[in-house]
Amino acid sequence: MLKRLLLALCVLGVAGLAVFWWLTQPSTIALAAAARAPDLANGQEMFNIGGCSSCHAVPNQPDRLKLGGGLPLESPFGTFYAPNISPDPNDGIGRWSEGEFVNAVLRGVSPGGSHYYPAFPYPSYAAAKVDDVRDLFAYMKTLPPVAGASRPHELPFPFNIRRTVGVWKLLFFDDKPFSADASRSAEWNRGAYLVNTFGHCAECHSPRNPLGGIKTAQRLAGGPDPEGHGFVPNITQKGLSDWSESDISYFLETGQLPDGDSAGGSMARVIRNTSQLTPEDRKAMAVYLKSLPPVEGPPRPKKPAS
Amino acid sequence: MKRTVVVAAALLLGAGAVMAQDNLVKQSQDTMKANAKNLGGVLIAMVKGEKPYDQAAVNAALAQLEDTAKKLPTMYPASLKGAKFEGDYGPSPKIWEDQAGFKAKIDSFAKVVTEAKAKIKDLDSLKATAPGIGKECGGCHETFRLKNS
Repeated sequence: MLKRLLLALCVLGVAGLAVFWWLTQPSTIALAAAARAPDLANGQEMFNIGGCSSCHAVPNQPDRLKLGGGLPLESPFGTFYAPNISPDPNDGIGRWSEGEFVNAVLRGVSPGGSHYYPAFPYPSYAAAKVDDVRDLFAYMKTLPPVAGASRPHELPFPFNIRRTVGVWKLLFFDDKPFSADASRSAEWNRGAYLVNTFGHCAECHSPRNPLGGIKTAQRLAGGPDPEGHGFVPNITQKGLSDWSESDISYFLETGQLPDGDSAGGSMARVIRNTSQLTPEDRKAMAVYLKSLPPVEGPPRPKKPAS
Repeated sequence: MKRTVVVAAALLLGAGAVMAQDNLVKQSQDTMKANAKNLGGVLIAMVKGEKPYDQAAVNAALAQLEDTAKKLPTMYPASLKGAKFEGDYGPSPKIWEDQAGFKAKIDSFAKVVTEAKAKIKDLDSLKATAPGIGKECGGCHETFRLKNS
């Protein structure tokens, strides 16, 4: 009788593991051969709006195009270190195929077939157009290779098991492509595309639940800084109602707030990218952000009384 | 009796030091707020076309910014290290750890403001020059200002 029970438990356990394995299987895109030559100028624009260098540029040196990685990104789940994504063949992505790159950016799956942690903002990138990612890859190939292996992340159990990201993806990852809103202008749609896909604004400017998923109803409504210091502002019209369209695009160009203050924290690095965009793209983002309905975000913690 | 005097003197000195520190904190915050008002509310507002170009207002704003450049080298003495700054931001310990780097930022800001005073004569020269001042603010804040958490 006991033997039978043990056997049944074993079978159940194996079956459970098999189901877990099946559910957390990384899914990838089979990429058809490119039907066009890459557009390097578009790749550069996508690189700048994508904010790649905000995290992947070698810290404490001025060249934002040296993508050797190394910047620590603190989170409630441990510390991530941005990997080397320069075209170095040994330490970077120099040997990657276009298909491998597209799957990394749009599906969060590595060339070896394992999940990336969503500290890499592929949940936003997932909605981007494949051709834009192809152009981005071609552009990144033109950047200088940087030697130096990526530093492993420092994550406690169970987050150090990449397969568990498969569960996270089941809960929070949506690979639906961006769809334009025909009732809005082309400019608005361009802004929506840039803000929500490559721009990945929502990744920092939204509150997250205890499992690290974005609270969809409060998207872009700000919240505690995921890196643990202070607060990220609400960028729906609840927070930006007194900013004009030109205030927003001027901010994205210069980092200067309408009240004369300058961007602080990680946003300073973001501005270094958005300042490189075309004025049309910055304006499109401003038009889109200005159109967002006001959404109440999490309450800002009270200033400690002196 | 002697002891009382010593204690009283020490207390007074201590209170004086705290008050001096409070004044320094306030001076720093008031100066930064005035800078922001002159840059954002005057110069950049004109760049954006929210306000008409007004040479007198430009001169006044630049004079205040120049005054800031003069005050900055003594605005953060070592006694301010660890002082309590209410509000969103405070000085980073890097101000005292990297004094040469901090001084270089102040010098660069002072240079840009002096040049702006010489250059800004009309809306076009304002548009070409004023954003550079903001860049100096942001450039220094990125390293030497810390978000309060």
